[in-house]
Amino acid sequence: MTESVRWSRTTEHARTGLKGPGAAAWLRARSVPLPLTANTWVAGAGGAGYIAMLGSNEFFIEAPAPLIDELDAALANAPAGVYPVLRADAAFVLEGGKVHDIIAQVCNVNFAALDFGPAPIVMTLMIGVAVLILPQASSAGRRYRIWCDPSFGEYLDHELSAIVGAIEKEPTGVQS
Amino acid sequence: MMRRLASIADEWVDRARPLEFIFEGVSYRGYAGDTISSALAAAGVMTLGRSFKYHRRRGLLSAANHDSNVMFQIGGRPSVRGDVTPLAAGMKVTAVNTIGGLQRDRARVIDRLAPFLPVGFYYKAFYGKRLAARWERMFRRLTGLGSIALDAPRVATPKRYAFCDVLVIGGGPSGLSAALQAAAAGAKVLLADETSKLGGSGMAGCAIDPARAATMRTLVERVAADSRIEVLTSTYAAGYYDDHWVALAEPQRLSKVRAKAVVLATGVIEQPTVFRNNDLPGVLLASGAQRLLQRYAVAAGSEICVVAANDQGYEAALDLHLCGAAVRTLLDLRAHAAAPLKARCETLGIEVLEGWAPYEAHAGQNGALAALSAAPLGATPGAVDLTRLRRLNCDALLLSTGWAPALQLAAQAGARVMFDESMQQHRACELPAGLFIAGRAAGQFDFTARLADGRLAGEQAAAAAAAAGTVAGVVAPCAKAAAATALAHGMAHGMAHGMAASHPFAIIDHPRGKNFVDFDEDLQVKDLENAAQEGFDSVELMKRFSTVGMGPSQGKHSNVNAVRVLARARGVPVDTLGLTTARPMYHPVPLQLLAGRSFNAERKTPLDSRHSALGAVWMPAANWRRPEYYAQPGLSRGQCIEAEVRAVRERIGLIDVGTLGKIEIFGPDAGLFLDRVYAGRYSDLKIGMTRYGLMLDESATIIDDGVIARLGAQRYYFTTTTGGSATVFRELLRWNALWGMQCALVNVTGHRAAFNIAGPQCRAALGALTDIDLADTAFPYLAVREGQVAGVAARLMRVGFVGEVGYEVHVPWGGAARVWDAICAAGRDHDLRAFGVEAQRVLRLEKGHLIVAQDTDGLTNPIEAASTWAVKMQKPFFIGQRSLRILQARGPKQLLAGLEIHGERLPQESFLIIEGGEIAGRLTSVARSLALRRNIGLAMLRPDLAVPGRAVSIRDATGAMIQAQVVPTPFYDPTGLRQKPGGVP
Repeated sequence: MTESVRWSRTTEHARTGLKGPGAAAWLRARSVPLPLTANTWVAGAGGAGYIAMLGSNEFFIEAPAPLIDELDAALANAPAGVYPVLRADAAFVLEGGKVHDIIAQVCNVNFAALDFGPAPIVMTLMIGVAVLILPQASSAGRRYRIWCDPSFGEYLDHELSAIVGAIEKEPTGVQS
Repeated sequence: MMRRLASIADEWVDRARPLEFIFEGVSYRGYAGDTISSALAAAGVMTLGRSFKYHRRRGLLSAANHDSNVMFQIGGRPSVRGDVTPLAAGMKVTAVNTIGGLQRDRARVIDRLAPFLPVGFYYKAFYGKRLAARWERMFRRLTGLGSIALDAPRVATPKRYAFCDVLVIGGGPSGLSAALQAAAAGAKVLLADETSKLGGSGMAGCAIDPARAATMRTLVERVAADSRIEVLTSTYAAGYYDDHWVALAEPQRLSKVRAKAVVLATGVIEQPTVFRNNDLPGVLLASGAQRLLQRYAVAAGSEICVVAANDQGYEAALDLHLCGAAVRTLLDLRAHAAAPLKARCETLGIEVLEGWAPYEAHAGQNGALAALSAAPLGATPGAVDLTRLRRLNCDALLLSTGWAPALQLAAQAGARVMFDESMQQHRACELPAGLFIAGRAAGQFDFTARLADGRLAGEQAAAAAAAAGTVAGVVAPCAKAAAATALAHGMAHGMAHGMAASHPFAIIDHPRGKNFVDFDEDLQVKDLENAAQEGFDSVELMKRFSTVGMGPSQGKHSNVNAVRVLARARGVPVDTLGLTTARPMYHPVPLQLLAGRSFNAERKTPLDSRHSALGAVWMPAANWRRPEYYAQPGLSRGQCIEAEVRAVRERIGLIDVGTLGKIEIFGPDAGLFLDRVYAGRYSDLKIGMTRYGLMLDESATIIDDGVIARLGAQRYYFTTTTGGSATVFRELLRWNALWGMQCALVNVTGHRAAFNIAGPQCRAALGALTDIDLADTAFPYLAVREGQVAGVAARLMRVGFVGEVGYEVHVPWGGAARVWDAICAAGRDHDLRAFGVEAQRVLRLEKGHLIVAQDTDGLTNPIEAASTWAVKMQKPFFIGQRSLRILQARGPKQLLAGLEIHGERLPQESFLIIEGGEIAGRLTSVARSLALRRNIGLAMLRPDLAVPGRAVSIRDATGAMIQAQVVPTPFYDPTGLRQKPGGVP
C-alpha cells in the first residue's frame, strides 16, 4: 500500500526574513545563494533549506536553526536599507499522487498546470489563509511546501487533515 | 393512464433490478434507473403533488428538472424533485404542501376561493396595519414547501476549483459535437450535462429515425473514448460569472470552473399551451412525454391527444405511436401542417385537425385528465370558434406549441437577449469574447444543423482558448467556412420546414379562467392582465407584483407566455418588452453544496492551550478566538468577571492581547508616513516613547486606533485594533505604493505574541523576570523599551490600557508560552489572575476609553468622539484632514459622552436615548463598575444633551425609561494619579 497523498506539519528548520533595497546585497555578502528573479526560490547552501525572493526586494529563508540564528543576530544591527522581517510561520508539506485533488478543494490556483522549471514560489490564499507555496518534484509525485501565519496554523492543519482523510477514504484514494 | 411499455432501445431503466418504495403510504415498484416520478407514472399514479396556492392536483409536466409542482419530502429532506431524483429501494416519499395527505388535502378548498384571491393579494393584504399580523401568521402557516429537519446531521461536502480550456454545457447533439471538435483541436474539454446519461434531446424521436439514434450512440461513444474530454453527468451549471467562471452543481460537490472558452449547448425549454385546466394531471409537455418514453419506457397515456404548432409535436406523436402508445388526435394550431408528417400521422390512424386549439380540459373521477374540448382558432389571438366545439376523450394531452431557449447563463455572461419575430422566440446576440452558443439554444432545430453548429462552436471555442494560451492546435480557416455554410443551410432548412416554430400566441381565453400561465405560483391569464391594468405593466413590475417567474422553476415555463399576455394587454410587440433579469442561480442549488465544508478561518494565539487550561470561555473577536472570561468553580459568569476586574484593580491581572494588529515600519520616511496616515504627529516622537494614534479615512471617519512606538530613528512599531489589522495593513501598503515614500512595512501580527500585565503589583512580578529597569524614572508612563523577559527578546510598552500601571509585553511567537508561564509563576505570590475580554471592557470603560467600531460607527469623526486631542490639525497633511476642517466648521451632529446610570437595572448597549419623544442618541457601551459601585456607560448624544449634569432617559426593550445623567470621563481615576510616580499605593 502506498499513500496517495500526505499532509504533514514540519518543524525541521527555522525561518527568518528581510526586506529593503539593501537586502539582496546584504545576503550576497554573507554568501547566501539568491534566486535570480522575483517570486522564485533556490535551495540553501548544501541543499539545506530554501531561499525565496518575494517581490523585488524581500526574502524569506528557511534553513537549519544555527544559520537562522546567525542571520537574525546580524539583522538586529542591519545597515540602512536592510529591514528584518520576523517569520514564525507554520510550515507544512503536501505531497503524493492525489495532491492536486487536495489543492483543488482549497486553492484557486491551477497548480496542475504550473511549470516547475523556473522554480516558482506562489503567494496565494488557501481556504481563506494567505500562504506561501513552494512546489517541488518528488518521487511520490508533486510536493508542495506551504507556509502560513502561525496563528492560522492549527486551522489550516485541521482542515487539510480532514480533507486528506476524506480523499484517502475514496475508493481510488489508496493504491495497492 | 400512464403505463410501462415493453423494453425499448437505449432505455435507462434496468428491469433486472426492481425497487420497492412507498409514496403517500402506498407501496409501489419501479426499477433502478427510474426517477421517483417515472416510477409513479409507470404505476399509473397521475396526481403527484398539489399546487402552491390553490392546492390543485398536479402531475408530471417536463421530466426535465422543472416540475416544481412535483417536489417531495423524503425523511428530513424537503424539495426533492421527483422528475430527476433517482429512485432508491425503500424510499418513503410524501407530497409537500398538503394538509391531510395528497388525495384528501383539506387545503384544496382554497381553489374555490380563487375569485377572492386577486393578483397582488399578498401585497394588498398588508396595505392596512390592522390585520397585518393576522395575515402574516396565516401566510406563514399556509406557505412553504416541505419541512426542514432542524436536527438533521451536518454533512460536509467538498467544493473544488477546476480548470479547462473549453467548458461545454449540455450533452445533446450540439454539445457532444462541440466537445469532440474542441478536443480534436487540442483543447482540454470539460463537458457537463444535467442528466445522468449523455445524449439529451438527440435521443428523442429515435423510433421514427433510427439513423439519428445510431449517430447519437456514436457521438456518446466517441466522447467517452476521448481522453481530452472529462464528462460530468447529473451536473448543472448554476451560475455564470466574470471571465468564464462557472459554478457547476454536481450531486455531491460544487465545482468552480475557470474556462478559457465556453460553449453553451443548453437547448430549449418547451413552453406550455395556455387554456382552461391546462394544469390537470395528464396534461404534459410533448418533450416530457418523449423523455418518459425514451428513458423509462413509460407511455404518457392510453388515449393520447397532441397539441402542436411545429414539427416536433408530430414527431412526438409518431414516436409514441410507433412505440405502442395510442395517439388518437393531433390538433395543429397552424392552418397548414407539413404535408409529409400529416400524411404519415393519418396513415397510422391519427386524426389531424389543422387550425384547431384546445379550449378546456376536463377531469375524470380521479381528478386527472379525462377529455378535452377543442375548437378551431378564432380570428383574434386567444379566441376560438365555440360554434364548432368538439369533445375528445383522452387521458393524456401532449403540448408542443413553442420553445424558450435556455439562455439564462448566456445572459449572466453578458450576452444581450432579443426577441426574434421570425422564430417567435428569444435569441442571444452580442456574445462576450470566448462564449459560444450552439444547437437549439442558438435557434438550430434540425438535427444535422445542430451537429454542424456544435462542431463550429467547438472549433471556435478551441481557437479562443488557444488565443488565451496553452492549447496547441488551432482550427483551419477552411473548416470554419465549411461549418458556417452548413450552419446557414441548417437554419434555412429548419425555418422552411417548421422545425423551429413557436406559435406567436398559444394562449386561449376562457370566461371562467383557470388557464394557467405560471404553474409554480398558480397565475392565470387574467391575473397578469389585471396586474397590467393596475399599472404594473413592465415585465419587471409585473413579475414583482404578480410573482410570475418567482417560483421554484424561476419562470422557465412562464416568462415567455407572461410577456405575450402583457404584450397583448398593452397592444405592443413582444420585442419591445424585454425579459426579466436572469440572475444566478439558474437552478436551485442545495444549501449543502453551497455550505461545502463550512470553512471558518479562525486564528489562535500561541497561548490558546494555556487559556483552555485556565478554563477560558471563548468568544469570537474578528477572526480570532479569545477568552471572554475564565470560568471558576462555583462562580457565575458575572462573579468570574468581577473577580478578574478586582484582580487588576487590587493586585495583578494578565491578559493575552496578541490579537492586536502589530506592524513595523522602517526607513527614512517612516515617521513622515505615519504623520500622513494617522491624525497625530509621530515624526517628532522621541525614540523610546509611544503615542496614541487615531486613523481616519478620507471623510474623516475614525477607522482604527492603536499605539505607535518609536524604536529608532527610522524604525517604528505600532498596533492596530484586533479587527482592523489586515485591512489597515493592506490600506497602508496601498498608500505607500501611491506615495512612493522611502519606507517599508512589515505585518508581524501573527508572528508576535503580546500580553498586558497590569495592576498595582505588576512591577514586582515583572521586574523579577527582566533586565529592563521598570522604575518610573527609567521607564516612565508611555515609554517603550527592548530587552529580555524570561530569557526571550521582548518589547515592553508602558501604557494605561486599563487604568492601572501596566506593561504590554511583545515577544516572538515562539517565546510566548515561556514568557506567559514565567509571568504567571512570578505573579503567583501576588495572586495574579488572567482576565478576559469582558473584564478588559469594564476596565477600559471605567477609564472612558472608546472602542473603535463599538463606540464609533461608520460615520463618527474625532470631533464627535471627543478625540480631537489626538488630532494635529496644524500638520501639512494627513488622511481625512480636509474633511475634518469642513466638519469643524459645520459643528458636530452628535457627541460621545459619559453616563452615570441610576438604579440597579443595567440597560443594554444600543438602547436609545429619548428626549421629548424623539430619538436623541444611543448607548454605545455600558457596564457595572465595581470600583464606582454604579452603572456607567458611554453614549452618542445630541450635542445639546452632552453637557455634564444633564439628565437623559434611556428606553429599554419594554419601552420603560431608565434615568441617567451626563458626567465627565474618565469615570475612574480622572486625574491619572495611578500612572504617576508614587501614585500606586
